[in-house]
Amino acid sequence: MSAFKQHMPVARYSLRMCLAFLSWVPVVYVVTEHVAYIGKIEGMSMKPTFNPPESPNTRNHVLLWKWGVTNINNLEVDDVVFLRSPIDPEKIYTKRIKAKQGDLVVPRYPDTRSRVLVPVNHIWVEGDNVHSIDSNTYGPVSTGLVIGKATYLIWPLNRFGPIPLGGRECREARLRHSYKE
Amino acid sequence: MNNLYSAGKVLSYTIRTVAVLHIFSSNVFEISDTTGESMLPTLAVVNDSAVVDKRYKYGRNVKMGDLIVARKPTEPSSLVTKRVTGMPGDIILIDPSKNSLRRLHQENLDMQEIAPLDSSSYDNYVIVPKGHVWVTGDNLNASLDSRTYSVVPLAMIEGKLVYAWYLTGMLSMFTNSPRKLANTFVEE
Repeated sequence: MSAFKQHMPVARYSLRMCLAFLSWVPVVYVVTEHVAYIGKIEGMSMKPTFNPPESPNTRNHVLLWKWGVTNINNLEVDDVVFLRSPIDPEKIYTKRIKAKQGDLVVPRYPDTRSRVLVPVNHIWVEGDNVHSIDSNTYGPVSTGLVIGKATYLIWPLNRFGPIPLGGRECREARLRHSYKE
Repeated sequence: MNNLYSAGKVLSYTIRTVAVLHIFSSNVFEISDTTGESMLPTLAVVNDSAVVDKRYKYGRNVKMGDLIVARKPTEPSSLVTKRVTGMPGDIILIDPSKNSLRRLHQENLDMQEIAPLDSSSYDNYVIVPKGHVWVTGDNLNASLDSRTYSVVPLAMIEGKLVYAWYLTGMLSMFTNSPRKLANTFVEE
């Protein structure tokens, strides 16, 4: 009994600390949901910028900035963004912004004569790899689908640093035409 | 010093409570005000409070005829309340009020030509693509909806409206009762 009494404050203290810790979990969750989180890049559509073939078994991780990314003014051409798929809302794509509202884009399909005008508050996204399902398939996407912007490559550590540039150079001439053309 | 300590304590409790409430309101239920005449007569122009079921977020289990809250594709910062009037795969006549069937027949348009939507032409057909829905207001004359901004991605659906309560003041709580928002398309 005396031993219990002796340990009582310790038990109470640790219980209190536990509860205090748990009560901060929702706060952390809200921050990861709206401010910043770590994003994992899956699949091959961003090769070789992310998940390069030299290390086939490591998945690249990036710091994902989430605050204010649905505002078109915070998104620039060549930014890498995570967006909810317009085809399947449960899937998340990683793509590079290739054109913004008001730009005239020559899509890869159905043919090279067609032109797409990116509507207001929409972006044109493409993968860095030729094997990518992107705006060439589903068209310009609303910025409301963007869930985050990759700001730093944080894993693996030997590639730590800002997001590398990338994209297919043969596409550059076909993007961001002025509407006046 | 003591004052500063208790102020910090109040702040930390507030932050934690707000976080919990925020998670609840963004994933389970939220009560929000609706404004605008686009959903008349289902929802009043002002003073109608609605219960939004957030479990239907990202269009999960959304059916034809559901009342949904979605982000506007051309202006993601604003939310709109509309009714789902087209599911993926459906062929939609953008605005039947424009005598379009006759025009379609006259000009011999084929599907290939009319699939890409030009917002200026109402008398066209649209095939709702996978992962999207067609939404319109109940008051077609005063509604800015898919007829203008085309299909809405399921991922931009925030929730489904389940109840509405017309409240003009404290006393109206006793005179008006919450009403269930029915799906006018599907029998329940």
